[in-house]
Amino acid sequence: MSIDPATCAKPLPSGPARARARRRHRRLREVASAAAAALVVAALAAMPFYLVVGLRPWDASIAHDGARLLRLAAGSLRAVACALVVAIPLGLACATYTAHFAAPRLRAWLKPGFELFAAVPTVVFGLVATATLAPWLKHHVATALLLLVLVPCVLLAAGFAFGVRARARGWLPLALLPLVIALVAAGAWAAGQADSALIHPDSPWNAMLVGFALGLAALPLVFAVAEDALALVPAAHTRAGFALGATRWQALVTIVLPAAGSGLLAAVVLGFSRCFGETMIVLMAGGNAFGAPFDPLSAVRTLSSELAVSMPDAAPRGAAWGDLLLAALALLAVSVLASAIAEGMRSRLRGRLVQAHP
Amino acid sequence: MSGRRGDAAGTWLLGGLAATAVAAMLAFGAYVLASGFGAFWPARVVELGLRDGSRVLGEVVGGDARAIALRGSERLRAGDAYLRIARADIVAQSWPSEVVAILHADGRRTFMRGDAVASDDSAVEATRPNALSLPARLGLSLARAARFIATAPEAGGVGGGVLPALAGTLTLVLLTSLFVMPVGIGAAAFLHLRRGPAVRIVRAAIDTLAGVPSIVYGVVGLGLLVHGLGGSLDRVLHADRLAVPTWGAGGLLWAALTMALLTLPVVVISVEEGLQRIPESLRGGSLALGATREETLWRMSLPAARPAVLTGLVLAITRTCGAVAPLMLVGVVELAPALPLDGTFPYLHPARQFMHLGFSVHTAALASTDAIRGVPHAYACAALLVVVAITLNLVAIVLRNRLRERYRELGT
Amino acid sequence: MTIDARHHSPAGGLDVQPAVALRVAGLRVWYERRQVLDGIELAIPDKRITALIGPSGSGKSSLLRCLNRLNDEIAGFRMEGQVLLGEVDVAAGGTDVQELRRRVGMVFQRPNPFPLSVHDNVAYGLRLLGLRRGAELERRVEAALHAAGLWDEVADRLDGSALELSFGQQQRLVIARAIAVEPEVLLLDEPASALDPAATLHLEELLRTLAQRYTLVLVTHNMQQAARMADYAAFLDAGRIVEFGATDSLFTNPRERLTEDFITGRHR
Repeated sequence: MSIDPATCAKPLPSGPARARARRRHRRLREVASAAAAALVVAALAAMPFYLVVGLRPWDASIAHDGARLLRLAAGSLRAVACALVVAIPLGLACATYTAHFAAPRLRAWLKPGFELFAAVPTVVFGLVATATLAPWLKHHVATALLLLVLVPCVLLAAGFAFGVRARARGWLPLALLPLVIALVAAGAWAAGQADSALIHPDSPWNAMLVGFALGLAALPLVFAVAEDALALVPAAHTRAGFALGATRWQALVTIVLPAAGSGLLAAVVLGFSRCFGETMIVLMAGGNAFGAPFDPLSAVRTLSSELAVSMPDAAPRGAAWGDLLLAALALLAVSVLASAIAEGMRSRLRGRLVQAHP
Repeated sequence: MSGRRGDAAGTWLLGGLAATAVAAMLAFGAYVLASGFGAFWPARVVELGLRDGSRVLGEVVGGDARAIALRGSERLRAGDAYLRIARADIVAQSWPSEVVAILHADGRRTFMRGDAVASDDSAVEATRPNALSLPARLGLSLARAARFIATAPEAGGVGGGVLPALAGTLTLVLLTSLFVMPVGIGAAAFLHLRRGPAVRIVRAAIDTLAGVPSIVYGVVGLGLLVHGLGGSLDRVLHADRLAVPTWGAGGLLWAALTMALLTLPVVVISVEEGLQRIPESLRGGSLALGATREETLWRMSLPAARPAVLTGLVLAITRTCGAVAPLMLVGVVELAPALPLDGTFPYLHPARQFMHLGFSVHTAALASTDAIRGVPHAYACAALLVVVAITLNLVAIVLRNRLRERYRELGT
Repeated sequence: MTIDARHHSPAGGLDVQPAVALRVAGLRVWYERRQVLDGIELAIPDKRITALIGPSGSGKSSLLRCLNRLNDEIAGFRMEGQVLLGEVDVAAGGTDVQELRRRVGMVFQRPNPFPLSVHDNVAYGLRLLGLRRGAELERRVEAALHAAGLWDEVADRLDGSALELSFGQQQRLVIARAIAVEPEVLLLDEPASALDPAATLHLEELLRTLAQRYTLVLVTHNMQQAARMADYAAFLDAGRIVEFGATDSLFTNPRERLTEDFITGRHR
């Protein structure tokens, strides 16, 4: 038994009055969403505007402590360099492996795994570095350096000696997990036996310590950007390589890496920018003192940690205030520049790959 | 043949480095969680007989090859009874089961022989740690963890509970979400509906904002919001007592606004990504029913993209919980005299300074006078932060995967 | 009775015909610089099923989408000519497109229920018109579901997700959604192409019932379906109408060579 819509009592509310009401509604929402968008742009514009105006560049009587700023910038660069030693090889290797070799099921676990790790607050990295890693590293710098060299060498040698079967290739990291853990544990044990530091750091809180924590913290970002770029390379390219008799490794080196090159570079640039602006890790693990400019084992004070330490107590418009704003401006400029470069590289990559395969 | 060998070596290197990264991440997470929970684990109390004939009761808190560090009974205040005892001086060592460990309300710990237990009014917890079975230890740890979450810090001491910090974090999260979600959704709607140069500008602004270091947000929040807006508010509203700033000092409102700005890019990006995943055929269906593009967005696409909106919210919450640096400039404090949220009108006090779990990690680890208590306390706070962040993000990932799968079925 | 009328329509079909629901005159359409429709003249009869047939790329779907201005959403689209729905010129610039689309409903190739509940899908168009919660809304939702022959199947899960329905049910839900706002014309773009034979049969029965109350315009690739269902048929080729007439005569006695070739499968 069907009910005829025509038996419904009232006619549908259509017609010019309803249309007007809908138009009014629409205008309201249009204005609201445009206002939200304008707020975003205003927020971005307000940052440099405030910093520059706060510096009062027209007031010649304000002198900046340029030497101090340079030392801070040098500290930032030293910390970033140490962090990138960790983050770049690990991040790019993980991304390359995940995009090119990993079994689909492993890949489906690795990507969200890195994403979850990215959610860990940086203050936690700072804590582990300062409370746990620092006391250990104070005595075991040589061990840490040795491990940095030893692990890749052992891996290369083992690969050369044993080769790799196609079926195992997709799950290799799981198989190697015990090997890596055993290597590190053995190294740490041997160091504990020796218990004499071959290398004495100037300070238990130093750039190398910052590097380990900061590098680990930046790892997920480098991984994500690089993996995105590598995944963008069409499978058809790789298949064409296979068809010509290339091995999977040869296809990687001759086809995939060159094609995704600018995306990998973008990952490096964004990793740099991320480390350059990071505050909590440097604040907690860096020792907050000016160390020797090129020594990874001396304390480090960066633009960002300077802001965190000095800004809360600085009097607005006081002597140090201007220097702090200048430091913030430097951080902002580096990040904006890095974003622009990375975006340029990525859009170039996208353009090229999409052009090749519309 | 050697070419094949070289290939294998390269593959091993990549796979091994991936294994290293995975191991490092797992070890890191496990270490933080274990240390965090370990902070609640009841330590055994040792009784040392020394060469001079005296006996000492205490918990071992550290040591090296030559000496051990002991926490003895703290008679006056927490942290006043750390002993460093040379191993050479120790002639006897035992763990008597009748020893009672007492935790006092002011955070002091005292140890005594069971037969000498005097009823102490200030005792929060009295146990015989050496006689506890494993399940009992576990139960005690859980009880301590619950107390950690549900109580305020000890007066003047390190340790105790994190309730104010937790409340401060939650209030900040709530207020930040309230600010960022409408603006983020509005901006995403703008990007989704409009075409042309304005969209390109807004999109570039969002990408750039996403890369700006959090401390810079703090600086701008301090300068523009606290000093600028807050200072002006004080001049207008509280001109009679300008010496003591009301709004012109860091506080909850300014912190929430700063964090809203900081989290805006992630919200916009994830909402817009969600909107883009709504298949074109659904949009066509809505238009064909007489909906405008705007109505389609608000009535169909946004409700359908709810998981993406939720993902944006989760990411914003994660960042609000984790970005400590900017908060240090706009109002977070080590010990706040009052909660930002309480029972007196108007219940929410946006000008008040507040405590934050992430900042507690920092202060407990560094600024604490009693490092032996501070570090485990910091780890406990850190573990709590990590658990919250991981859980929220896990939820977000699952939601996002479900959204993707649903629209893969529907097709585009 | 409509079905009967089909058999009584005279050869040619254009001499004596029912009232005209939609009149297309001199319609020309471009995407960017490419012209896809040229000089379309068509009078779509009221409360009948009119099929648009023709090879792929002949402009059937473009024509269909002109009737509710859905092409407007495509960048580079341009049209000239007249499409009269009663007194309203659909193609004119100042037309209230939203009201037009209420009056001219559409069903797509693949079922596209919104990822909302069954109830909210049907209520969607009504809410656009400002109908809030209440007995009126519920009555109309129920009526539309009845009319689409879906009520008995979904009455107990109105609040369940529409995506959990079967494909055939989804397509009927989409029809219920379209007729809830009391359209005059229903445009159907190959509505059965994604369905299995049983669901197709079910849908065809429904469409025949709906033709008693609505004017149906059906784009189909399936000649048997067109012959079975339609009262009138228009054969398009390369953006022009080659032949239009009562289905019987067009299929049994086509006037144009092209039509005959296409129907018998010799076209291209």
